[in-house]
Amino acid sequence: MTAQASLDPLFKPASVAVYGASTRDRAKLGNTLLRNALQSDTAEVFAVSPSAGRAEGLTTVVSLRHPVDLALISVPGPAVEAAINDAAAAGARCAVVLTSGFGETGDEGRAAERRIVDRAARSGMRVQGPNCMGVVSHLGGDRWLNGSYFWNVALRPGPISLLSQSGAFGGMFFSELAARGLGLKRFASLGNAADLDETAMLEWLAGDDETGVVALFAEAISGGRRFVDVVRRITSERPVVVLKSGRSVAGTRAAASHTGSIAGGHGAVSAALRRAGAIETSNSDEFFDVLTAVSSHQPALTGSRVAVVTVSGGPSVLAADEAERLGLSLPAMADGTVERLRAVVPAFAATGNPVDLTPQCAADAYSPAVSAVFDDPAIDGVIAINCGLDLEPFGKAVAEASTRTAKPTVGFVTDAPTVATILADSGIPLFSSPERAARGLASLTAGSRL
Amino acid sequence: MTEPRVIELSEWDSKQRLSGLPTPREVLTTTVEEAIDACEDLGGRVVCKASGVAHKSELGLVRIGLDAAGVRSSWEELAAAGDGTVLCAELVSGELELIVGGLRDPHFGPVVSIGIGGVATEVFGDVAVVLAPPEPGELDDALATLRGSTLLRGHRGSPPVDVAALEQVVMAVSNLLDTDPSVVEVDCNPVLISGGQPLVLDALVVRAAP
Repeated sequence: MTAQASLDPLFKPASVAVYGASTRDRAKLGNTLLRNALQSDTAEVFAVSPSAGRAEGLTTVVSLRHPVDLALISVPGPAVEAAINDAAAAGARCAVVLTSGFGETGDEGRAAERRIVDRAARSGMRVQGPNCMGVVSHLGGDRWLNGSYFWNVALRPGPISLLSQSGAFGGMFFSELAARGLGLKRFASLGNAADLDETAMLEWLAGDDETGVVALFAEAISGGRRFVDVVRRITSERPVVVLKSGRSVAGTRAAASHTGSIAGGHGAVSAALRRAGAIETSNSDEFFDVLTAVSSHQPALTGSRVAVVTVSGGPSVLAADEAERLGLSLPAMADGTVERLRAVVPAFAATGNPVDLTPQCAADAYSPAVSAVFDDPAIDGVIAINCGLDLEPFGKAVAEASTRTAKPTVGFVTDAPTVATILADSGIPLFSSPERAARGLASLTAGSRL
Repeated sequence: MTEPRVIELSEWDSKQRLSGLPTPREVLTTTVEEAIDACEDLGGRVVCKASGVAHKSELGLVRIGLDAAGVRSSWEELAAAGDGTVLCAELVSGELELIVGGLRDPHFGPVVSIGIGGVATEVFGDVAVVLAPPEPGELDDALATLRGSTLLRGHRGSPPVDVAALEQVVMAVSNLLDTDPSVVEVDCNPVLISGGQPLVLDALVVRAAP
């Protein structure tokens, strides 16, 4: 069985069994999991519990009698092996073990983990976890699978699929998605990755045409050159954005050579990600900014020449500074562009780069002025900045010119809600500072590294 | 986990194993007379180094710019401090020092690193790493990520670094890791850039003990 076929039941299950559903205590995670599963749009949900009864309106069974696509296991640690055995015997195709207390606790836990994986393998069942927060997946339309411990997650469909080695980072991810209005395709918390590690999950995502952007939060990447090959396959079609924590532990061992102390640890990971064509980010702000940029429908930045167009002088220079630091250039406007600008903007407006139209610009001048900047043949991408004055004609001009010229555009807008709405509605990603807007644009470069 | 035992090869043996390495002209001498002859052949002034000693610079066992008389008065001491031989090398000067190194990453296998600063690399921490062997274009991309990449493109009148020649050093390290599984780490340090051309002044190959 290929990895591709084998994980369909995990991300697109038609039937789900929840082990550990007996609790009636809504404060318990097992109850959250059952309620999430029941609110999911899978055709069938079974609740399995050692004592027959009812949970959340469902009649529980002591043992699964039907094969299911997905078994979600949240029983106490000592009962996990029995649950895996029951699910495998019934013909479950994938299992997620959310329960903790395995490999992360020591040798005994590792041995138990091994037995779980071996038992599952005998029945051809793949296992996510243990010690994880579960799985969330968009099933199409407004239909979702929520096989996770996360409560009150606002689910909005979109292109991003995240694999996370940390469950808590998953929580941070859902809250950032909501705050930024970004949409989700798949989420899997990898936990101890006893069976399905990041490489196995990526192999499935490589064939998932509904995923538009792959995001990975990793504490360690263990798949070696196989990982590089899989990521490279994905990046030939869509961006892969990676945040790897623990960058500073390099060089902790006593190395015989200088190389050992300067290139150990994170250097190899960066080299691997560069070969694979992934976008490596260095902190969570950057990670979510890049996801915001690459999951927008902006075209790729095909050159390095960008313009900052603004009505707000100071912040636009900050954006320009950061753009240059990131290797982008801010060329002067072409003579023809300057002429077109001079014809419509106040005499004191700046027609260099940044182009500061100033708030004193006539309302009907924003459109021709902004168009002139976007039309400049020496400009590959644009950063639009508007602070404080909610100049609707400026917003409309940027949205119109960006769409018409199909040049990648990002924005920083503050205290200008009308402009923010106009830009967001036309698919221009907005960032929370001028510098972060510049980084967002830089990340739209094919094969970009920040 | 205990650190595996390793064997550090001498500079001479290390350079012999790294085929195709650009180095200054140099001779491993077994007598003081050989060293004096070498000094004359190499231009009258040489660098003399004790052989088979780790951290020889720190121990004062590298003598720079010796003439024949200097070679005569230093040779015995350097030979006695090391393995009984003395490495005599042409005296060279340059505009920039780099480090090129190799190691086996536990997950991604052999990698080669290029750092700016030579012996001071650890201070600057400006290092680019490529998976070995590098693919076409990969070294250029990696060098572009260095904070000091401007230095490589020619700075204040010095010629740009010959990247193809630097790639030869990288390939020598990469090939050794590829062909000899016992090699765990390699240092070419410093790699002196002289008129844009790299010259490996010192090298260290570390092997796992059998």
